[in-house]
This record gives sequence, structure tokens and C-alpha cells, in this order.
Amino acid sequence: MNALLAILFVLFPSDDNIKIKDAWMRPSSEKMSTALYFVIENKSETADTLFQVDSDLAERVEIHETYSEGEMMGMRKVDFIVIEGKSTFELKPGAHHIMLMKLKKDINDGDKGEFVLHFKQAGDINVTAITKKPK
Amino acid sequence: MNKIILIAVSIFILFSLSCKEKLPLDKDLTKKSYNLINQEGEEVVFPEIIKGQITVMGFIFTHCPDICPMTTHNMYLTEKELKKANINEVKFIALSFDPDRDSPEVLKKFAEIRELDFNSWTLLTGKRTTVYELLKRFDVKAIKTDESVDEEGNSEYSMMHTDRISLIDENGRLRKNYKGSTLNVEELVNDIKTLKD
Repeated sequence: MNALLAILFVLFPSDDNIKIKDAWMRPSSEKMSTALYFVIENKSETADTLFQVDSDLAERVEIHETYSEGEMMGMRKVDFIVIEGKSTFELKPGAHHIMLMKLKKDINDGDKGEFVLHFKQAGDINVTAITKKPK
Repeated sequence: MNKIILIAVSIFILFSLSCKEKLPLDKDLTKKSYNLINQEGEEVVFPEIIKGQITVMGFIFTHCPDICPMTTHNMYLTEKELKKANINEVKFIALSFDPDRDSPEVLKKFAEIRELDFNSWTLLTGKRTTVYELLKRFDVKAIKTDESVDEEGNSEYSMMHTDRISLIDENGRLRKNYKGSTLNVEELVNDIKTLKD
């Protein structure tokens, strides 16, 4: 899988118009779930779309959003996130996040995880996320 | 003499009103007992396990990647703030509303990876009917969403649920509810101090 990701990265190099910052995950344990958060900065004049995220860290990786209805809260899968031109989109607790389901190993404070973010315009962007407890 | 009594009564009324405003609920949770299981697999009875202790109670499921970890972390931060203020006798309970998947082992691992202190924390699961009866006492709702079956035949689902942390006084009375994932830690710490005064 790593080799495949590397080939994809060579074929579709990352675009400087999209910058990924402050990627982090919450600690969690094998077979469980966690969330990946980061900030997407789109420096281009045109919108771009994040439509898929891959990682060897979990069996399933999906784009999700947290929503509320009155006092109830839930999560649901979304197909993509549009980042308008010259704007910043933050995936953050209680909002959009990348859901990692069925983790293949424990992830503790300080552990790192590798991800490939797939954008329609910018192509594939490799990201390293750190595991930490929020302050 | 009459003036002194009048002033004393006025102060008492003002104090009571202020307390009522800060802690608007007063629901007795001691009238019914619930047999549950803790993270060690031991049978425990709620509310006996919190008897005589101010308790912060959160409602979670461990497969939740976002809201419930925020709720748990907010309880963890509350405990840290209380310790800074030399308040160490507060009990922390996390009750799972997903007992089908949240076995004692799963709850224990969930707590360990988040460095929760079992001296003050208890994570609870149990029979589904019992858990949901207790949830009803707190007006907490939880329903399965996006249910499917994986390749191995295991049920997969998310849950929509009340986002809740509750404060219980040392007499087993529910005193206040908070939004768990976006808790104002300072507010809860101050409410605990009010209960202790």
C-alpha cells in the first residue's frame, strides 16, 4: 500500500496552491476509531475539493461531519469538502473531520501517522499528523 | 434582636436563590438502583457507587471519534482543574450508551489510553435494558444511525445522542446538566465549589 501511495504521489505531485497545516489526531486504540483534524489553506483563485483521504493506519478512512439536532449530536459521512479560492477551511473537533475506523494499532500521544489527501485540482498531498491530547 | 433575625433570614434566602440559579435542578437519583458493570468487569450498583461523593457523570460510546472524546477530555480537564484547587474527592463516571460493543475490556482500554485515573474514574456498561433505564433518568437519548454489516458479519453503526455531562451532589441529587463536548470547564469547577461550600 505504501508503495502504491508513493507511485501516486510521483504521478500526481502536490500543488503549492493547497497548504495543509496543524494535522493532528486524538489518541485511540486498536480496532477503535479516532478523528484526524487539520487546516486547509487554498491560495489559488479557484475552489478545490477534498474528496478522499487514504492511510494505512485504519481499515476505513472517511470524510465526516458532526451535526446537531437540538440537544442531540451525531456524525455523518460527507462525500467531499469544497475549499473556496483564497480561503481556509478547518477540520476541527465538533465539525468536519476525517474519521479513521478500525485502527490497525494503538495510537498514543506523540505517535505520527501518514495520510494522502486527494484533491480534484491540487492532486495528492502527503500529510504527517501527530497524535496529541487537545489542550 | 428582630433586626438581626431579619438580616440572617434575608442572607439565607439570597444565598438559596443564588445557589438555585447556579444549580437549577434538584432530581433525586437515589430512589432506584441499577446493576451495572465497571471497567474491571465487576458488578456495581448505581447510585451506591457514588454515595456521599460529588459526581461528574458523562455519557459516551467508545467508537465515537469526535464528540465523546471531547466530552471525556473535558471531564479530564475538569479533574485537573479541581486538583489544582486541592479538591480531590470528586468522582468521575462515564456511562456507555453502547453496551453491545462497550465491554469492560473496551472501556478499560479507552480509559487507559486517555490516562484516566481509576482512583477517581469509573466507566460503566451493563445490560442494555438497565443502561437505557438509567439514561432515561438523566433524559439522555441515544439511537443507532448508519447501521450496516461488515464482511465478517459484525454490525457497524454510529450513534446520535444527547451531548451531556451531569453534576450530581453528595446526596445523589442531579443538580445541573452541561453540554459535554463544549463544556465550560470553569463553570463546572465553580459549580462544584458551590456544592462544597
